Amino acid sequence: MRKVWAVVRREFVERVRTRAMWISAVLGPVFFAAMIFLPLLLAGGGHKTIVVVDATTTAFGERVARGLQGANFTVARVASRPGVLDSLTVEVSDGRLDGFLLISDSLLEAGAAEYRASNVSSFTTIERLERGLQQIAVRARLEREGVDPAVVGRAQLRMDLSTKKIARGRTVEESAGQSFSLAYFMGIILYIAITLYGVNVMNSVLEEKTTRIVEVLISSLRPAQLMAGKLLGVGAVSLLQFVIWGVSAGLMLGHRASIAARLGMPGEVSVFEVPDVTLATGVVFLVYFLGGFFLYSAMFAAVGAISSSEQEARQAQVPVTLLLLVSFMGMFSMLNDPDSTFAVTLSIVPFTSPIAMPVRWAAGSLPLSEVVLSVATLVVGIIVVTAVAARIYRVGILMTGKRPALREVIRWVGRA
Amino acid sequence: MHGSVVAMDRVTKRFTGHTAVDALSLEVPAGMIYGLLGPNGAGKTTAIRMIMNILIPDEGSVSLFGTAGTGRDYSARIGFLPEERGLYPKMRVLDVLVFLAEAKGVDRRIARARGQEWLERLGLGDWSLRRVADLSKGMQQKVQFISTVLHDPDLVVLDEPFSGLDPVNTQVMKDTVLDLRRRGKTILFSTHIMEHAEKLCDQLCIIARGRKLVDGTPAAVTLAHGGRHVTVAFEAPPPEAASQVFADRTLVVGVQDYGRYAELELAEGSDPQEILRRLVAGGARLSRFDIAGPSLHKVFVDLVGPDAARAEAVGGRVADA
Repeated sequence: MRKVWAVVRREFVERVRTRAMWISAVLGPVFFAAMIFLPLLLAGGGHKTIVVVDATTTAFGERVARGLQGANFTVARVASRPGVLDSLTVEVSDGRLDGFLLISDSLLEAGAAEYRASNVSSFTTIERLERGLQQIAVRARLEREGVDPAVVGRAQLRMDLSTKKIARGRTVEESAGQSFSLAYFMGIILYIAITLYGVNVMNSVLEEKTTRIVEVLISSLRPAQLMAGKLLGVGAVSLLQFVIWGVSAGLMLGHRASIAARLGMPGEVSVFEVPDVTLATGVVFLVYFLGGFFLYSAMFAAVGAISSSEQEARQAQVPVTLLLLVSFMGMFSMLNDPDSTFAVTLSIVPFTSPIAMPVRWAAGSLPLSEVVLSVATLVVGIIVVTAVAARIYRVGILMTGKRPALREVIRWVGRA
Repeated sequence: MHGSVVAMDRVTKRFTGHTAVDALSLEVPAGMIYGLLGPNGAGKTTAIRMIMNILIPDEGSVSLFGTAGTGRDYSARIGFLPEERGLYPKMRVLDVLVFLAEAKGVDRRIARARGQEWLERLGLGDWSLRRVADLSKGMQQKVQFISTVLHDPDLVVLDEPFSGLDPVNTQVMKDTVLDLRRRGKTILFSTHIMEHAEKLCDQLCIIARGRKLVDGTPAAVTLAHGGRHVTVAFEAPPPEAASQVFADRTLVVGVQDYGRYAELELAEGSDPQEILRRLVAGGARLSRFDIAGPSLHKVFVDLVGPDAARAEAVGGRVADA
């Protein structure tokens, strides 16, 4: 056991010391921050100071200015005259003004107006402007037709459809967007992480093989001990990486408002709906990540063992990566219909369940029996695959020269 | 320690298409330097891999330290330098040494202290924190040698220890091997360079094409395979006893006597030491007594000559297997 520990420690320490480890440790949170804050930045929103440039021939312009004035906008009205646009443009570019709205009689007649601002990609602001203008215009038109303003006021209603997810027998506050983005996000992370750390294991096997140090190791440890130490060591590195990512993401989400405020962004406006990641979801993610990691790393270890150069390994790993890709590609159809036969099958077959099950878990509700069945098949799958991979590994690491044919590899597996 | 440290009993190993080791039996006595000699492709490396439990024999058995345990069971007592050298290029020198010692069950702190000690001893003290890849090939070889002896093994197995070493490092390696024997360790090494074997080995075994051709002490081997000449020179005209010795057909079958100088052809199975003893006892004062046997090199070439040429062709494959 102490010998296995030595291998685990070496894999862990040497990997944690590499630059790649720390680059990805930093890039993860950067990526995450971009996911959280970029939409905020783009969304803009918040309170805007605008000017209404009134070219109407009626009192409607004044009515618009009054109507928009409120919690979202501070509005001033100027009459349209030559030169005013130029001076307002200067105001906007100097940042003293967020934007200006050009209205004419055609607003009432054809619903046309123009908004010029430094930031027109802020769809929250645009939506508010549109909705405000529409309300004012509709009301004015109805009144012109002789409808009582009080009736108009009562008749207007703002629709707000709120969605709630029924998950595991309880109704939770989670919109469809949140479920989707969580499932999608988890699927991508799982796919990348399992491939990344699997290839890590493969390269580690290959390094020992090409440097021939494996002979010394095999005279001291059993091949199974060496392989187990490798899987555990790289697995521990991946867990550390997830802890770093998880903690930094948690901190960022927790202090989102204050960070946003410090960056001068409107923190309370959340266009990107941050999914509510429960403890159970976290556990499911980790369980399936580790399951998938062990399953695929064992296969990657076998691939490394039968290859004698990196080029060979790159070719030999294709079947393994394709296998993982199946569940990744299946994710999109699963998100559409998490309860289809296709989705259920993928989440129970051990080679696809490490990605399929967490995706289905996040996307919809799951009967407990399916989760139990899926975990059980995954465990059986890991045991069988690791045993087979260990046999290939045992023979492969001491072999040099040409890569063995598939038939030969199968013969190794059959050998006791 | 008594008995043999390594005993191979009719060990056979076949690979697809050929037999690498064929019913090989040998015994390595404790506390000795034992040389496994043979041309390229003779099966030396395969034999060593079976001793180290890296390969499993198809037939026969290997026993270590007089028990049935395998190389891996005794990894703490065995140091192994494989034919193809290699270390983790990105690791630091001392870390590699500590890891390899740990894999053999040595405590981490002890391994660290001993590793530093050995590095100092072989002149690599300043390199312990550098990466292996930064070291020259010769330095890496030294580091790897340290890794074979760091855990103070009783048996040291060295596969071609001198290959790729410059004369200075060859001498360092020889001195270290001799020092190991002085401390009671057993050393088994393979080589195809007879000069090393002749000077270092207490016992040796010559194999070719997987079979044992001869084994024994270097003197016995050269004696048994044509070491039949002795050159004698006298300080003064030889006494009567000398001619009696030369006339003894159990010792000498042919003489070319030049008076103060003679060349003797020895009888089958006779011991030149007996001639020397009787000459001295007879009152002769010798200025030279030279068992002008063929060198081990000649014996080797005579024995494996035809085989060597054939084995050369498949040498690469055997080394790979």
